[in-house]
Amino acid sequence: MSGSLELVCPAGTPATLRAAVQAGADAVYCGFRDETNARNFPGLNFSPREMAEGIRFAHGQGARVLVAINTFARAGDTDPWRRAADTAAECGADAVIAADIAVLDHMACQHPRTRLHLSVQAAAATPEAIGFYAKAFGVRRVVLPRVLSVQEIAALNRAIDVETEAFVFGGLCVMIEGRCSLSSYAAGRSPNLNGVCSPPEMVGYDEDAGGTAARLAGFTIDRYEPGEPVGYPTLCKGRFKAGDKAGYLFEDPVSLNAGSMIVALKAAGVTALKIEGRQRGKGYVTEVVRAFRRAVDAVERGHDPAEIDGMLAALSEGGRQTAGAYRKIWR
Amino acid sequence: MVTGNEGGSLPVFAQRLLPPFAGLPLGPLLTQSLRSLARRRPGLFERLGEHGTARYLIDPTDLPFAFCVVPDGTASRVRVTGKGGAEPCDVVIRGPILMLLGILDGTLDGDALFFHRTISVSGRTEAVVALRNAIEDAELRPSDLLGLRGTLARFADAGILGGLSAVRHLAAGAPAREDGRA
Amino acid sequence: MAQTGLTRIGLTLGPLFFHWPADRLRNFYNRIADEAPVERVHVGEVVCGKRMPFSDPAWPEIIERLERGGKEVVLSTLAAPATVRERRAIGELCADGCLVEINDITALPARSGRPFVAGPFLNVYNEATAHFLMRHGAATICPPVELSLQTVGTIAAACPETEFEVFAFGRLPLALSGRCYHARLHGLHKDSCQFTCEQDPDGLAVDTLDDQPFLAINGVQTLSAQVHAVLADPADLVALGIRRLRLSPHGCDMVEVARTYRTLIEGRQDAEGARFLLSCLDLPGTLVDGYARGEAGSRAALPA
Repeated sequence: MSGSLELVCPAGTPATLRAAVQAGADAVYCGFRDETNARNFPGLNFSPREMAEGIRFAHGQGARVLVAINTFARAGDTDPWRRAADTAAECGADAVIAADIAVLDHMACQHPRTRLHLSVQAAAATPEAIGFYAKAFGVRRVVLPRVLSVQEIAALNRAIDVETEAFVFGGLCVMIEGRCSLSSYAAGRSPNLNGVCSPPEMVGYDEDAGGTAARLAGFTIDRYEPGEPVGYPTLCKGRFKAGDKAGYLFEDPVSLNAGSMIVALKAAGVTALKIEGRQRGKGYVTEVVRAFRRAVDAVERGHDPAEIDGMLAALSEGGRQTAGAYRKIWR
Repeated sequence: MVTGNEGGSLPVFAQRLLPPFAGLPLGPLLTQSLRSLARRRPGLFERLGEHGTARYLIDPTDLPFAFCVVPDGTASRVRVTGKGGAEPCDVVIRGPILMLLGILDGTLDGDALFFHRTISVSGRTEAVVALRNAIEDAELRPSDLLGLRGTLARFADAGILGGLSAVRHLAAGAPAREDGRA
Repeated sequence: MAQTGLTRIGLTLGPLFFHWPADRLRNFYNRIADEAPVERVHVGEVVCGKRMPFSDPAWPEIIERLERGGKEVVLSTLAAPATVRERRAIGELCADGCLVEINDITALPARSGRPFVAGPFLNVYNEATAHFLMRHGAATICPPVELSLQTVGTIAAACPETEFEVFAFGRLPLALSGRCYHARLHGLHKDSCQFTCEQDPDGLAVDTLDDQPFLAINGVQTLSAQVHAVLADPADLVALGIRRLRLSPHGCDMVEVARTYRTLIEGRQDAEGARFLLSCLDLPGTLVDGYARGEAGSRAALPA
């Protein structure tokens, strides 16, 4: 590759895949409609046939498709994960994104010609860990945990010889991904076990005198005044009490917008920028991808960070945003 | 949950344009449309999985009736019901008709509407999520739902979508979607 | 003390997750060395590298004391290393002759080929991953806490050459973050955190807005508020291929906790009796065991 930043965009459905490609994505990532991928929501994702069609469509438009098989295979029943990996390779996926050693090992042994990317779910954040995955499985790219600062990413890139991909926009996991069991603790299903966090079937909105309580498996995750916009009760984004304080203990209800950091991320040696949101609609994806396409092209033409930031400012959806861990102060 | 007039209820003049339906022919008509859609595009309903047999009560707040929908492929059923709420159902989706139609044709993001309370949703959240994602991928046009084809379909889509978009902007007092600020 | 035979279950005292002052560490492990009926004791900092300068000077004496008390000592390593200093510390520990517990893949290249314990922070969710780690030297595997006993049994059945250990007592380690919640709660930055986590020897309870006990924070770690307790019939555990139970240190009387588990695995006490004895201790939360049964981890313990 020429060294220009690659824009990696989410697709939860074939329609969104087409929308993302048409909006200027260099690559689209998506998963099969089962528990082999970490966005296993009802009605979302691809059948094997849809995946094959999606890849054909993307390739026809000069875009790549990265297939996420990034949950952890079930003990005694690892076949669905192996099958998903086989199907992805047969469909002509440009890469498989995996976290589980079982999946990585299977890919390395059975499909050595298909590129392997290490999922953020593997939480590999040090040169030793990344080097290990590169050596053992031939991993070519690592999706960086969303806990590293730009300085740390730069240092990391100097110490490793695989590509790095960094999240720049969308939902923000405040916990180290792939190592969080909060959801299964409360609701019995978790990202690692089932590919879901704060599963919708355990969500309830209960109205009472004080307004609306958003609950997950009976645990109150947040409360809203009558008429106040409600949010989805994602565990780590709720309001709780600790000590003598009550509030957003883990993270404010913000989303990540690292638009202002694109120039710095490029300077830090990052290969690809990733937009989160496989559960989001095609209208949203189109808008975000289009804006980031313009921004990335401007970065490549040498525009300054303030200009880039301005190009992405309209994407706030009225919600609050943060540059996350890329600025060290986040911690 | 009551939704005010902000955010896109039908203006009074537009409400007057709708005939005061008793609802009798509408149920079978929509049932027929949905089943024919299922025959033409089975993949759309597969996406719903187990939630295809769920009962969705779609309640347009600015119409005098509601719909009970079971989106079960070629066995789909749509019934027009009253507003009483006595109907047993798994999910209730309530909102101004233009907003509901906006989700259907994909110009409005269901997540955003849901969380801004223009549309209220109650019942089995996973069934709502499945329906939203299925609709999201369907890229439905009015002609799909009405079972129209050819010139008639193009005519209907242009007329209905164009009209919808115009009325929606009138109602919401919002700029056009094309400038990226829906 | 009972010997660990082929069909006997061993007890392990896991690494301490909390930030205790060095004096408290010494007193705690001295008593463990003298009185706790456990075969194996983990030492070392797992949660936060910033705490290491405080505890590091205390460990050599503690290790010596434990070994004199007949305990097998395991050096636990950091679960989320980030800085050069933390990575170097892991490398040094992995070079040690002692058994080492690996809690992040970072440690694997340095330890590969020599025996290690695969800790619960490593994602061993299936037999293929277990086999892979065994080829690199995993001698004991303590799988992630969210796996059920049945699932651990499934993995163990495919890996008869390795010992399986389950997290059997304590607040559950549920998540790690790059962000320190103690610092955030006190309006501080992680880099100048003032070690406020030291004020909460069992972590700081987190309740919902409706006052339901829910979680606990411990610096960058989030734990359950409730106390997980696997109290199963020892014959069932043996049948599942589970060879060790891990007890996680808390501020309550850990010697008494170990004694209770000892009576259980030796068949001198049934699960219900053991649960009652545990519930009499000064625990930081009520007893749960949902994970062991393949349910939500917060589900309350059922009568056996």
